[in-house]
Amino acid sequence: MKKFSVIIIVIACAFLTSCGIQKEGLVIMTDHSYKATLFATNKIGFGSPDGLLWHKGKLYFADEGGVALESWTRNEGLKKLVDGGFGCESPEDLVIDDHDNIFFTDDDAGGLWEFAADGKPRLIAGKDKGLISTEGIALSPDGSLLVGDGEQHKVFRVTRDGQVSDFLGKDYGITKPESMVFDDHGNLYIADNEDNVLYLLDASRKLHRIIDRNDAFSPETIYFAKGSLYITDSHNHKLFVYTPGEELKTIAAFGGQLKNVQGVTVDDQGNIFLSVQSDLKHKIGNVIEISKEETQVARK
Amino acid sequence: MLLINSVAGRSWLFDSTVAFFLDNDLAKAGVIGGCFLAAWYGGKSAASTTTRRKILITTLLAAVCVITTTKVLSKTIFLPRPEIQSQKIYRLEGDQLVEMKRMPVRVMLDETSQKDYRALLSGEIETNDLGSFPSDHAGFFIAISLGIWLASRRLGLLALGWSVFVIMAAKMISGQHTPLDVAAGATVAIAELAVVQYVVRRKLGGWLDKLSGLTIRYSAMSSAIVFLIAFEVSSTMIHIRAFLGLLVAMRRHVLLGMGS
Repeated sequence: MKKFSVIIIVIACAFLTSCGIQKEGLVIMTDHSYKATLFATNKIGFGSPDGLLWHKGKLYFADEGGVALESWTRNEGLKKLVDGGFGCESPEDLVIDDHDNIFFTDDDAGGLWEFAADGKPRLIAGKDKGLISTEGIALSPDGSLLVGDGEQHKVFRVTRDGQVSDFLGKDYGITKPESMVFDDHGNLYIADNEDNVLYLLDASRKLHRIIDRNDAFSPETIYFAKGSLYITDSHNHKLFVYTPGEELKTIAAFGGQLKNVQGVTVDDQGNIFLSVQSDLKHKIGNVIEISKEETQVARK
Repeated sequence: MLLINSVAGRSWLFDSTVAFFLDNDLAKAGVIGGCFLAAWYGGKSAASTTTRRKILITTLLAAVCVITTTKVLSKTIFLPRPEIQSQKIYRLEGDQLVEMKRMPVRVMLDETSQKDYRALLSGEIETNDLGSFPSDHAGFFIAISLGIWLASRRLGLLALGWSVFVIMAAKMISGQHTPLDVAAGATVAIAELAVVQYVVRRKLGGWLDKLSGLTIRYSAMSSAIVFLIAFEVSSTMIHIRAFLGLLVAMRRHVLLGMGS
């Protein structure tokens, strides 16, 4: 019996340790009109990006794992714009205005940060002005910036000269404004991945719960493009698309080392890019491109 | 691989019967719970009852270990259910995503299966469906049934037969698990049951003697507890899992002040 048990334990240990399969990653396309490709890995030089954004042919990363703000193009490769030496600790999300000024949040260092078009970085407003743990960021039509704070459960308005005021107070009931984006009509979408709700703040400042399916939906990052809202879900490992007036639709589900989908952005051709934090601690990240099958055919 | 699934999708009556045994806790696992209770009370003498109870208590301990192991493995080894693998899937190979060959799966004709399949086509995928290897149902029920078999050969054979030919077969016919998932779950069950039975008997023999003695001394209380355990066994511990979920939610909403 003793020998038998030892053999069983050895076999069980061998079985468990041989499960290198965990390093695998899968992408399941529930919308078969799309295809998936691995667009970038750590080999291009980033750590583990959270937010990402296409802007004028460049891909920008709020690199949480690499503690940096970076830009990438096919010709120039990866460029570090701001790094930890400047004081940021965990770049979270970013927006870029028409003049190519980049604004980003930081959920560890807090504050609202800018990398101006002239190449100068600065802290617009920090913890001393009440921005303790900044998450989602949106560029308001009036030019100011809306910044979500996960610890204070508020959305702040921050002017370019660093004036901070409450935009949505605690009374609105948003627990963690993880991501925010305006649509074409000036409505503000707010993703709360703590209460697992997608809100819409209309022009009359009335807050609507657009999607509230606690069991299978937790919006991480939202991006509005061509009339549709693209939504990543790092809890349920999915990419959704929501078009007003239609049902929420799953485009893809992710598993293994590709399951932790974070940021989402769409380029001019309609290709979707997702940042995946495979292992934030060890700075392992990937970027997946989800594109229509027809796009490839058209390119050929 | 999915030969057993080839019988699905041909007869509404057959598929509905299979679905009934999949979805109905009483039909699915009531027999196992009944066998457990019968083995618990069925000793012909006080000594044989004590021996049986020692085996069954250890079996419950092993079953908890088995379900923990299968859950951890299924979250670690990313292998979707066969019905999911019938969809368009890309697998990471080196620095490339390579499209996998789709698994041909026949969908059962009963109402629930058809509804679930329509939901799958519209993109509804449960997170639980993404980790089907190994089968936790196979692990859990094989562990319990083998434990019953160790306590009582006849009851154990009935429980094992029900586990294999009703519960596991239904899982494979419906395309929820491949035979490989089931075999892996059963392997975990056999291995861990053997190890736990050996370790508990050798290292915790005194504790086991005391506990089995208490079940005889306080028979009313122990009957109530065994009823609750058999009830949970019959429902694959769904209520305990819901209770644990409530505790987690309470911790988040009350202790951490994240009430919505």
